[in-house]
Amino acid sequence: MSAKGRGLLSGRAAVAGIGATEFSKDSGRSELRLAVEAVRAALDDAGLMPGDVDGLVTFTMDTSPEITVAQACGMGELSFFSRVHYGGGAACATVLQAALAVAAGVAEVVVCYRAFNERSGRRFGAGVQHREPSAEGVALGWALPFGLLTPASWVAMAAQRYLHRYGLAPEAFGHVAVAGRRYAATNPAAYFRGRPITLADHAASRWIVEPLRLLDCCQETDGGQALVVTSVERARDLPHPPAVIAAAAQGAGRGQEQMTGFYRDDLGGLPEAGVVARRLWRTSGLGPGDVDVGILYDHFTPFVLMQLEEFGFCGRGEAPDFVAEGHLPLNTHGGQLGEAYLHGMNGIAEGVRQVRGTSVNQVPGASRVLVTAGTGVPTSGLVLTADG
Amino acid sequence: MGGDVTARLEAYDLAARLKAYEGRPAATARAGKDPVNAPMIRHWCEAMGDTHPAYTGPDAIAPPTMLQVWTMGGLSGHGGRAHAYDELLALLDESGCTSVVATDCEQEYLRPLRPGDEITYDSVVESVSERKTTRLGTGYFVTTRTDVRAGGALAGTHRFRILKYAPARPGGGTGRGTRPRPVVNRDNAGFWEGVRRHTLLVQRCTGCGTLRHPWLPGCTACGCPDWDTVEASGEGRVHSYVVVHHPPFPVFDPPYAVGLVELAEGVRMIGNVVGVPYDKVRIGLPVRLEFRTYDEELTLPVWRARESVPGPAEPGEPGGPAEPADRAEPPDVPVHALPPLEIPVTRTLIVAGALASRDYQDVHHDPELARRRGSPDIFMNILTTNGLVGRYVTDQFGPASVLRKVAIRLGAPCHPGDTLVLTGTVESVAGDTATVRVTGTNRAGRHVTGTVTVTVPGEDPSEALSDDPREDPSEDPS
Repeated sequence: MSAKGRGLLSGRAAVAGIGATEFSKDSGRSELRLAVEAVRAALDDAGLMPGDVDGLVTFTMDTSPEITVAQACGMGELSFFSRVHYGGGAACATVLQAALAVAAGVAEVVVCYRAFNERSGRRFGAGVQHREPSAEGVALGWALPFGLLTPASWVAMAAQRYLHRYGLAPEAFGHVAVAGRRYAATNPAAYFRGRPITLADHAASRWIVEPLRLLDCCQETDGGQALVVTSVERARDLPHPPAVIAAAAQGAGRGQEQMTGFYRDDLGGLPEAGVVARRLWRTSGLGPGDVDVGILYDHFTPFVLMQLEEFGFCGRGEAPDFVAEGHLPLNTHGGQLGEAYLHGMNGIAEGVRQVRGTSVNQVPGASRVLVTAGTGVPTSGLVLTADG
Repeated sequence: MGGDVTARLEAYDLAARLKAYEGRPAATARAGKDPVNAPMIRHWCEAMGDTHPAYTGPDAIAPPTMLQVWTMGGLSGHGGRAHAYDELLALLDESGCTSVVATDCEQEYLRPLRPGDEITYDSVVESVSERKTTRLGTGYFVTTRTDVRAGGALAGTHRFRILKYAPARPGGGTGRGTRPRPVVNRDNAGFWEGVRRHTLLVQRCTGCGTLRHPWLPGCTACGCPDWDTVEASGEGRVHSYVVVHHPPFPVFDPPYAVGLVELAEGVRMIGNVVGVPYDKVRIGLPVRLEFRTYDEELTLPVWRARESVPGPAEPGEPGGPAEPADRAEPPDVPVHALPPLEIPVTRTLIVAGALASRDYQDVHHDPELARRRGSPDIFMNILTTNGLVGRYVTDQFGPASVLRKVAIRLGAPCHPGDTLVLTGTVESVAGDTATVRVTGTNRAGRHVTGTVTVTVPGEDPSEALSDDPREDPSEDPS
């Protein structure tokens, strides 16, 4: 493989361990404890000890500091710790940070984690009614007095424009929901195991914020997920085959906002996902036709469609048909619609399982997986490949 | 725990006792206090602003929406015999449900009432609901049905629903809270100062001239830190919109529409679209800027629909042919929409409407007592709303129009200082009869939704509609 144009990151690091708590609606324990349980599980999976870890990465939104997780896991000294901002947009970027640290020799074993009681504790879907007058608060504040208070309402504004531009009805979003719940039905870890839905169920579900129905919105979850990142060389000596980080990228578009990207030209697309796509394809040397499995961030169905278009799997406005025709195995764990809402981190774990060949919905011979992160915000993505 | 069980047993017992009132008469062959008479008709028409010619002159009929008025007890009440209905209300009072609000009124008019008609009526308790928790508080819906007769012949029927409830916050506000505040700091204070002065200011880069919104301390196009402002013309179009159903933020009274408005100047901003029902907001709808004050501290720009709303045509019905990408904005064709009517809700209107309907409930005229019952001020009674809805529809269908049925449901109350905006959509026309869906909104949300059946004898009622009644010289008093 020529390294030209691929930078210093491609193929240097791998995900060597994955671990999670159960996914529930009421964990009954603290967010810190969920984080610690997930990190321990991921280390067990990787065949490593807490003392092997010298780096930790999480989200700025996480309530469990790296130093506290390190203490409660019995880790020693840390030489790298970092946090990524912008909600679920951080997911794949935590792995990017870890891979950069490993590739640069700043750390040898970095654990990425995210844990919360998002259902029994602070529910994002409950909405925002007040923000401090920081620059971020002001940005959201243009929408609040008018009753645009929830993630669903912010996404719906773009979704409406998408439908309008391509002459579609809200039923166009149904295929994504049906596909996610079909995979979740056969995934024992999924909250919606054994509960597939039909297009008719989608169309009959109640409005949350038009044009989004209940079944266009992901669930809310208590739980934790962690990922162990180390060098490809070291990963080869560990129990599982490495999921090689062939490419990792972040992206923010021109005129980027957090969920309120109403003021830039293109309201029916996700320019930040386009930035990530260009970088991932260039770094990995792959294109949409080379991908065996897509794990696309699905907090709301319309943004899955727009991601497919931004990543070039199909033309603009064609994603509903693309999903309906099943051209790409999509969110084989059931996604956040079906498995759990872990801010995208559980999707990375599913990408790893597909590369290992251990997914409950394994795509035969899968060796190249695209994973994306939160949409409508500055975001990130990964291409994971089998070793060799 | 013992207390808990006792409370539950009591609640069970109360539910059974309330249910026992279903089907019992609330009034039997009771006579109206006065015959139908011209002075009460005139007072009513003055309060409602109703100038329908059928309600004056030697052959006058009473406005059909007065049906209930002729049965009202007035200041002295009906007195005398205790009826099942009074017992039922007393029982609810004892259980803590001391407040009352009317929620629904459905009337059918079988023949007109004229001055001199002697009224009798029979009323029955149709149903008592399970215990319900509402925004106002917890209580029971009680539905009565009344047959009104004139000279012994059935003239109309009247179904009426009230909520008897224990206020959620006795003596406090409405429990609805206030709108989220704008988030203001040094970078955007100028925008909100402008809004307070009723001007909408758009930032302009003094380097490259690019306009921008939201406000930022540097140009998004060239990075230049220097800027001034231009005042927006106030013209715009709906670029996108959503309808919020869930979660139910009480202050916004879901469902409600939020628009993303593209100003004529090219920038976009979020805002509420008014003067059109939430389900009639469409991409491309032309809107014009107004300012609305919500409370002592909050004024916001709002966007009033500038024309009759577009028809129900939605792009791309499921399975239907998709429309071409990047097509032009849809034309705004007024298909079945009636022009809006704005009614300033003054203290005088509320009190005049209550007196014209012989409704002496204190919440309709005494602010202090209204506050003690958990309302921020007096509020308009349901009979007035009913009268205004009837007037709105006959205004649209002209002097020959006759009301057949009016069924309304109340939502957010109308307080002094509100503006009630009535809008209507013709749902169907069959022969000389039209069915009209009416919505009335105020600053708190939807005050009333209803369905009105109106006849224009011998005519297609759509012919009686003028696009804009204000342009019809026959209705111009000057």
